[in-house]
Amino acid sequence: MLENYFPVLVLLAIAFGLGIVILAASYLAGIKRPNAVKRSQYECGFDPLTRIRLQFDVRYYLLAILFVVFDIEAAFLFPWAVAFRDIGFLGFVEMMLFLFILLVGYAYAWKKGALEWE
Amino acid sequence: MIPVADIVFYLLAAVLVIAALRVVTTRNPVHSALFLVLTFFTAAGLFVLLRAEFLAAILVMVYMGAVAVLFLFVVMMLDVDFAELRRGALSHLPVGLAVGGVILVELIIVALAQHSAGPVTEPAVAVPNTLAIGRVLYTTYLLPFEIASLVLLVAMIGAIVLTLRKRPDVRKQVISHQLARTRDQAVELKKVASGEGA
Repeated sequence: MLENYFPVLVLLAIAFGLGIVILAASYLAGIKRPNAVKRSQYECGFDPLTRIRLQFDVRYYLLAILFVVFDIEAAFLFPWAVAFRDIGFLGFVEMMLFLFILLVGYAYAWKKGALEWE
Repeated sequence: MIPVADIVFYLLAAVLVIAALRVVTTRNPVHSALFLVLTFFTAAGLFVLLRAEFLAAILVMVYMGAVAVLFLFVVMMLDVDFAELRRGALSHLPVGLAVGGVILVELIIVALAQHSAGPVTEPAVAVPNTLAIGRVLYTTYLLPFEIASLVLLVAMIGAIVLTLRKRPDVRKQVISHQLARTRDQAVELKKVASGEGA
């Protein structure tokens, strides 16, 4: 059973090794002659006016939160579907209730226009 | 026969512990979040070794794909000066030591209560893990499952209430307005006498 994951292990090892080889090769073989101008942040022509860290708009956060919620909702559906024959009608009702509660949130988000990008 | 699974377990476990330590010791909060992603990933690898593929997939999709991204967003949005926050943190040392000590004692008690940890790479349950979760989650743990949906609902509504701001100056395409527009609203015809239009 676990043997089925051997290709994944090989892939991980190759990906990890390749990353190290590329970084090490460029570190060892590259010519490094840094000076103050080369090491500064890139701005076209003038000295940097602001810090390089830009603040994200808070609306990305809202989208991410909504994504997390529906991601978890979908994740709960998998064991439900697999165990559907064992848990019977009660399990079906339960999941419908679960989905309904989240549907309320979905309707709220839709009504409020949280899913629209301005 | 080389115990490949055991080697992989100890490799993943070592990376997990180191990454978890780096989460709390690194100075750059972005690096901290990325080490957290590495921690989740190695933990997913440990789940695969226990034949808990469903949990591994959930860890990768929900925790790495969504929760860690959320942490990164928060770090990028707040732009917190952590050096400033750490100043004076030493004064909280007694309380921190007390809380940490209590958690350590709890962990030791739990570890001693287990008779033995068992083989590290054997399946924890006989049936497929997704089925095993489904059998208990929707019967024994019915109430926590339903409460989880309420928690998710609160999280969703809370996030919307806290962060949603309407911008009044944004021009948007409203298709119903476009379709409701008639010829009378859009076109005005002027009768201009011949030779007088200028």
